[in-house]
Amino acid sequence: MRVERELLRGAGPVTVLRLLSQREMYGYELVQALDQRTDGVLAMGQSTLYPLLYGLEAKSLIRGAWRTAASGRRRKYYAVTAKGAAYLKTRQVQWRRLVAAMGELGLLGRAR
Amino acid sequence: MAPDLDLLELEHRARGRGLPPAVAATVARVAGLAGLDLVRRDEVFEELVAHFEDGLAAGRAAEALLAEFGDPARTTTLVAESARIARSPDSTLPAARRFPVVPLILRELRFASRRLLKSPGFSAIAILTLALGIGAMTSMFSVINAVVLRPWPIAGVEEVYDLFERIGGGTQPLTNPDLRDFERATTDAFAAVAGVRYARAQAGEGAETAPVAVELVTGSYFGIVGLPPALGRLLGPEDDLAPGGHPVVVLGHRYWVRNFHADPGVVGRSIRLNGRPYSIIGVAAAEYQGNVRALRPDVTASMMMVNILSPSETDLLESREAHGMFGKARVRAGVTEARANGAADRAAADLRLRRVGSWESETAAFRLIPTKNTILFPDADPYLRRLSGLLLGVMGLLLLVICANLAGFLLARGIDRRREIAVQLAIGATRGRVLLALMMESLLLGSVGGVGGLAMTAVFARLLANIELPLPIPVALDAAPDLWVFGFGAVVALASGLVFGLAPALKATAPDLITALRDESAGGGGRGRSRLRNGLVIGQVAACLVLLITTGLLIRGVQSLRRVDPGFGQRPTAVVAVTFPVNRYPVEQRLTAIREVAARFGRLGGVVGVGVIDNIHLNLMNTQTASVRNPEDNGAAERVSLDADRAAVDTGFFAAAGIEFVRGRDFRADDGGTARVAIVNEALAARLWPGQDPIGRRLMQDQLVEVVGLVRTAKIRSLTEPPRPVIYTPLAGQRAAAVWYLLRTSGDADLTAGAALAALKSFDRELIPTSVTTAARHIGTTMLPVRLGAMLLSGLAAVAMILAVVGLYGTVSYAVAQRNREVGIRLALGASPSTVVRMLAVDGLKLVGWGAGIGLLLAGVVALGLRRVLAGAGFDAVIFLTVPLGLALVVGLAAWLPARRAGKVAPAMALRSGE
Repeated sequence: MRVERELLRGAGPVTVLRLLSQREMYGYELVQALDQRTDGVLAMGQSTLYPLLYGLEAKSLIRGAWRTAASGRRRKYYAVTAKGAAYLKTRQVQWRRLVAAMGELGLLGRAR
Repeated sequence: MAPDLDLLELEHRARGRGLPPAVAATVARVAGLAGLDLVRRDEVFEELVAHFEDGLAAGRAAEALLAEFGDPARTTTLVAESARIARSPDSTLPAARRFPVVPLILRELRFASRRLLKSPGFSAIAILTLALGIGAMTSMFSVINAVVLRPWPIAGVEEVYDLFERIGGGTQPLTNPDLRDFERATTDAFAAVAGVRYARAQAGEGAETAPVAVELVTGSYFGIVGLPPALGRLLGPEDDLAPGGHPVVVLGHRYWVRNFHADPGVVGRSIRLNGRPYSIIGVAAAEYQGNVRALRPDVTASMMMVNILSPSETDLLESREAHGMFGKARVRAGVTEARANGAADRAAADLRLRRVGSWESETAAFRLIPTKNTILFPDADPYLRRLSGLLLGVMGLLLLVICANLAGFLLARGIDRRREIAVQLAIGATRGRVLLALMMESLLLGSVGGVGGLAMTAVFARLLANIELPLPIPVALDAAPDLWVFGFGAVVALASGLVFGLAPALKATAPDLITALRDESAGGGGRGRSRLRNGLVIGQVAACLVLLITTGLLIRGVQSLRRVDPGFGQRPTAVVAVTFPVNRYPVEQRLTAIREVAARFGRLGGVVGVGVIDNIHLNLMNTQTASVRNPEDNGAAERVSLDADRAAVDTGFFAAAGIEFVRGRDFRADDGGTARVAIVNEALAARLWPGQDPIGRRLMQDQLVEVVGLVRTAKIRSLTEPPRPVIYTPLAGQRAAAVWYLLRTSGDADLTAGAALAALKSFDRELIPTSVTTAARHIGTTMLPVRLGAMLLSGLAAVAMILAVVGLYGTVSYAVAQRNREVGIRLALGASPSTVVRMLAVDGLKLVGWGAGIGLLLAGVVALGLRRVLAGAGFDAVIFLTVPLGLALVVGLAAWLPARRAGKVAPAMALRSGE
């Protein structure tokens, strides 16, 4: 099930940052990871993903670097910067609060 | 066009990496259309390629991958947005990545050159004509730079002044006594005062002699210039003590390199000048160019040697009439220009009180001019500046015509590329980008043309440096391009690129897309477009007219100079200048020797008359003047005193020179003894005794002199001068040591000159002729600069004419061809072909009429200015009529030929083809 674009707009950057904070990944890998690790819920079209990555990069939250993989293919690997890590931390707090508040309202319980 | 090519190139690259066509197209679109800079675009492109490669490698189908990818248009927008964030000032990315100007320009240059290579014909013509135009302009600038603009190589030049005398309305050089008086009277204001004279001497011995340019300087001269010597020492106050007692010279740097092979051991050796040895004490610095620009001396000697190196009947150290000394003075520290002038005025007042030499005149004064403001000579400088401006203007016009031509071509091409450009704009390329791409082409053309032009300038300067001008004074013009010239060339090249590129590019990228597309199908041209096209034709006609009329007027002016009667030497005449060394021909033997040589010359075959003069007319050096007045006017409130040129001649001179007697008689062999007699020209008689017979009258020149003859007025200093008063005195009894022989012959003047040379040798093997020529060549020499100028201008005019005609033809015929569709409609509606042809031709001629009107007005303004530069040039009905008519003929033809072709076209064809 896909989540509506409006909802994803806020979640997208945090999700990507979270995934990249665990290990660095290249574009296609990130697509796969988003799809598999969120059961497709947070899978986003690459038409959104790549601009998102560029935006994060422009804000220096992540850093991209070209490397040649063992397969011989050149890929751009993204990793979270210190600034990105700090940003993720504050966002995590906010998300937790948001989810908690939604839980208080009973928005979370019934769906499960 | 750039973005289009970008897309194609990207797609091609993507497919080369093994991506299926649909995928490759998507990748190209996203990367190519997001408005990214080169580096960023390639990065995005690579990442997207890697993404799809990964997907395909994982076994996914291309269609599925594309479906997952989502809407490419949206991606493009988002990527563009992220790029904007990256460029924003808040971004922490390094500046080089935010504004990658250099890679962007490099890429645009690459594309531009690729596009230019696609139309090699156009590019070659554009570059060639631009190189020509820029080269002409830069060459002219390099000369002006060398003569007018280049700063003096003088340390602390702002403290240095050039010193002249102002007598009557004119400025003239000083005399040695005047200079020394000035020096003594102004020690409070000036730290040093020096004088410089020029002479021409024969260097070497026996047959191995060559003329050299000698600069004679007083003791403090090199101290004022302040340049250290390249070798040895320079002349100083210790070399400025005893007249005739300092046979030492400093070699000019170029002379040392050329004649002594830059031998470092040259100091202490000696060089023979006019048969006497002079020891070499040093070599001047390479930067030292002499006291007068473009008169680079070969050797510099002490002023004390002037009477030996430049022998004449006057003592150049003592005479207050031998005005030939250029003064230079350095003020004491902190002395203002006003204070310096005050000191000079005091010195002048002093001299006027003493009434010596030209200081008898109550208006005589010293004239100080800051050296940094002088070019050649105060009276010539404003003229030189105007001439420089005029010549640069002519070159600028030529370049403008070239630019207009190219603009016409580019406009035509821009119209051809309109659809392409409209599509690019429609798919999101910004107007700036497209404009940049178009401008890059013209700037590239301008730059390559500029490089060619500068190469031309370098070649020109080399030619100019090595040319040996047959002038009595050695002219060495060092117009080698320096940084200023390169800078000027670069600015001109880029400016012309802008000028001819901007209007067509703006037009081609005009934001009215819909009009553009509609125009395309209508084929007739929108109003704006035709306005630009018409403006171009009008402008081109006007610029061509001004250029052609200006050059035409200049050439006519020069031609009228050629028709000027110099008043002497019109028959075949050999001219031989001989210097009788004062040590071997003491004053009491000299006249006999001069006359003996004349007699030998007279016995040569074919010679019908021999004349001797100490100062030949139209000789740019050694102008001798005398202040003369009518003694009977003594009591008059306004004393009629005038400056006349002066020459000493021997019996038979006027007959040999072909100067007619109006009244009176020639000198007799014994004139010049106790009885003081003179012959005057009509100009002098008209000034002193207007309307009266001068024969038998007396005039005051130092002492009373009786006028025995009246002769026609010949040209003395230049062919353009108004009649100048001249007083001729008998050679006998004077101390002239350098004389000119005129050998009028019934045969060939050159052969006679050769025979005269042999006769001179047989008289005295050691006598050295300083000049052997013919009267025709001697007179021609004074016209040389003008002739060279005319030659240059004729060449340029021819180039301008060709360019103008080709350009106009192209522009007009294109304008007419653009209306093919309209012609088709008119023909289809029943108009007769001849009516249509007439209509088109008349429309074309209307434009020419406008252009001609504007051009004629401008040319009139130029002609007004021209009259102040070159006497004889100005309004010339022939030029003002023939040039516009000729141009109208060309343009008429340019309009008629395509019009006729249009008239012949079958209506249906014209309608279908649309263009």
